[in-house]
Amino acid sequence: MGITENILKRVGLRANKPSGDQPATFWSKNRGWLVLAITGALFAAYPFLPFITDYWIDVAFFVGVYALLGLSLNIVLGEVGLFDLGHTAFYAIGAYVTAILNTTLHVPIIVLLPLSALIAAGFAYLVTSPVIHLKGDYLCIVTIGIGEIVRLTMINNPFNLTGGPNGINGIGGPNLFGLAINSSTQFYLYTWVIIGIIVFGLVRLQHSRIGRAWNYIREDETAAEASGVDVRTYKLLAFVLGAALAGVAGNIYASKQMSVSPQSFTFIESSLLFCIVLLGGLGSIPGSILGAAVVVVFPEVFRQFASYRLLFFGLALMLMMIFRPGGMWPRKREGTGLEGLGIRGLPTKDEDLILVGKPDLAILKPASTAVVRGVRLPPVTVAMDEGMLLQTHGGTLKFGGLTAVNNFDLNVRSGKITSLIGPNGAGKTTLFNMITGIYKPTSGQIDFLGRHITGLKPHTIISYGIARTFQNIRLFPSLTCIENIMSGPQCHAQSGTWAAVMHTIAEVREERHIVATAAYRLDQVGLWKYRNELAKNLPYGKQRYLEIARALATAPHLLILDEPSSGLNDKESEDLMVLLQALVKEGFTLLLIEHHMQVVMGISDWVAVMDMGQKIAEGLPKDVYNNQRVIEAYLGKEDD
Amino acid sequence: MATFFEQLINGLTIGSFYALVALGYSMVYGVMKLINFAHGDLFALGSYLGYTLLVASSSWVTVHFGLWGGMAVAMLFAFTGIGLAGVLMERVAYRPVYPAGRLSLVVSALGMSIFLQNGIMALWGSRPQAYPAAVVPSARFSLLGLPVTSLQVVILLLSFTLMLVIWFIVEKTTFGAAIRATALDRSTATLMGIDVRVVIFFIFALGPALGGIAGVMNGMYYRAISFNMGWTYGLKAFTATILGGIGNIPGAMIGGLLLGLMESLFAGYVSGAWKDVFVFVILIAVLLWRPTGLLGEKTAEKV
Repeated sequence: MGITENILKRVGLRANKPSGDQPATFWSKNRGWLVLAITGALFAAYPFLPFITDYWIDVAFFVGVYALLGLSLNIVLGEVGLFDLGHTAFYAIGAYVTAILNTTLHVPIIVLLPLSALIAAGFAYLVTSPVIHLKGDYLCIVTIGIGEIVRLTMINNPFNLTGGPNGINGIGGPNLFGLAINSSTQFYLYTWVIIGIIVFGLVRLQHSRIGRAWNYIREDETAAEASGVDVRTYKLLAFVLGAALAGVAGNIYASKQMSVSPQSFTFIESSLLFCIVLLGGLGSIPGSILGAAVVVVFPEVFRQFASYRLLFFGLALMLMMIFRPGGMWPRKREGTGLEGLGIRGLPTKDEDLILVGKPDLAILKPASTAVVRGVRLPPVTVAMDEGMLLQTHGGTLKFGGLTAVNNFDLNVRSGKITSLIGPNGAGKTTLFNMITGIYKPTSGQIDFLGRHITGLKPHTIISYGIARTFQNIRLFPSLTCIENIMSGPQCHAQSGTWAAVMHTIAEVREERHIVATAAYRLDQVGLWKYRNELAKNLPYGKQRYLEIARALATAPHLLILDEPSSGLNDKESEDLMVLLQALVKEGFTLLLIEHHMQVVMGISDWVAVMDMGQKIAEGLPKDVYNNQRVIEAYLGKEDD
Repeated sequence: MATFFEQLINGLTIGSFYALVALGYSMVYGVMKLINFAHGDLFALGSYLGYTLLVASSSWVTVHFGLWGGMAVAMLFAFTGIGLAGVLMERVAYRPVYPAGRLSLVVSALGMSIFLQNGIMALWGSRPQAYPAAVVPSARFSLLGLPVTSLQVVILLLSFTLMLVIWFIVEKTTFGAAIRATALDRSTATLMGIDVRVVIFFIFALGPALGGIAGVMNGMYYRAISFNMGWTYGLKAFTATILGGIGNIPGAMIGGLLLGLMESLFAGYVSGAWKDVFVFVILIAVLLWRPTGLLGEKTAEKV
């Protein structure tokens, strides 16, 4: 498959696979190439068309600048879902870096192109890393604040660098190896070639584990962290990359205008960028470009209405959101088949993937060995009781004055099913949250596989081999089932941003491994035929299984299930028990919270009982079942 | 000392404009979880409505009701007009977009804001307008030996009264309990027999209407009004809202007053040009210290 076709597939212009009964025509075989060639030819021919004046070439140039800005904000807002309303700050930094260094030190524009990107990216890292943990609207106001701080600083002309309200004039144009770029046509072509290169990289990122990790965060941050995504790092990466692209746009803008001034970098500008991304469709690359075209061309077309044109524009924005809230060219994930994932070298028959993904059970079995699945774990340092996989010692968590978990010793034996039961509000889920790193224990110690894991981040703990499901199912609703499960192997993957863009051999191999593992687990829980459906469209019971499959795909030693049978009917509960027992045979250790006594008594090897944050009993299921204190905890004490 | 007092009074006056606009922001946010970016433009529209009433019928209103009476009539006019505009806005721009999610709502709000701003420009022109001196009370007197204008005193008294009234309605009345319940959980509130539509109507009428009054007061205080002043005030009020803790009524008041005070003290003693930078730096610092604002409640997500 050619690179071109690959890209086209990923941006949504997919060639349909020639089906068996229809002979492949030249058109169907090469549709990807042809569409790309035609698009490219149209773009290249545009300035030379007879009725296109320099004015309209400049309009197309500005569409390019805004497309670049839209694409850059799309990373932050569209892919990760971070509420950034100050993106213009990075654009301004790029433009001013170009202006200042070109006019004072006479650094050539073409050298400043990467430099502007680099400085904008560095600035983004510095200002966003302290605030990246803020949620939704709070992050939004901080980005607005950053945008305003940058603009006001430019106006206030610190150290006579920025030229104050009038800005800086006399910026030179780019010079490509002796070819000076100064006409409208040259600027147009120059800009769109750069956009072409950037789109190539963005499409590849979007279809790599990086892009998927961004989407996991957008869909459900807690679930993403719990599936092994280092949320903080990926959010910062999005900001840094987004800022770099905005810096490139700033450089191009400054060299075309030959001047920069603070009026170009207002809050209104940032909100226009926001509109571009939403108009095009969140996370859609062609959408962002189309959105930019609309935002730039719309006021031009309505120029004869002079001052009313923005009135109409405001109206159009509202109407768009009422009638087409998903945007003009939304990214479609379902129905593109496994090929839509953009991973090279997949088997022609989807089903073959399941076999590829079947794990070598011999490797999984001995759960006590130190090095598994090639993950570099820290050395074993803690002596644990014989045969135990997980132990908590005096695990305590206090919320203010309330002690949710009090001095709890939990022992989970390797290769067995341990159940944690207790009345509602006993603190069971809280204990799970402590083990998986969502809460930090107030005191006490948690040991797993001979290591302290107390207070580690959830994405680290999962890479050690503890996976979980949630009481109230947390999936990535707008992603397909296979994409949901592909978050699992994420925590063991190594490839970085550059590898994803370049499709290095190791990266492609890793991607194949991820999708194959996901395919195997999806099939294991019986959801293979739903692989290309969106997770939110599955019925409730199937969503539970999908969540279990996602946890399994992380290749854990210990699988923690929080009320897996809740909401299932008797038949479904029995099916679930069969699956859980099969998992133990495969070598997993299970820890459950469960209310369904039939399930608990039917499959548990060991039961611990929790009430009011404390352990009140533990033992074999039948002993616990008849324990007086347990009965009291559930049914209350009889009055004598 | 005199400068300090002057800056203090000035800061409190601006702060009370911010606080009134922030109140509307916060009320709408609390119930709808919607950042109403068009809120600042409703404030500007209020300014223009008051201006039009006073100028168009200056002789009539001011002659019949006197300076203060004219001001009161203008405020009442802006209050009613902007209240209606707020309700209309919810019907037209937000209600049809609710199912599409929060980001689409933001775009719709931005569209509304652009629409309003350019609507004002189309109706009243792009040049700033001035409240004529004849309609603005300008008596000066000394309070405890320090000079203040009667307008400042009235603005402060009225703003504080309005804030108290809103606080009383939201915190102490049965209807206020319905508002708070709707803010916490809309579907449960419906199940408890609260007519959520009435709550939303009230929120979108009262919140912007307060901004309308602030708009008239602002016009009287600074005299000059312009079509795009809504952006600046909206942004400041939004900052104040977040500073106090979004969705929190006393938070919005404190946030607004604090913002006005910081701004004018910094401008008076350090630098006028850098005052807004200072405000945003303080905001970021506060959020780092308290991620949900000064009075915002810590909400641990249930997992």
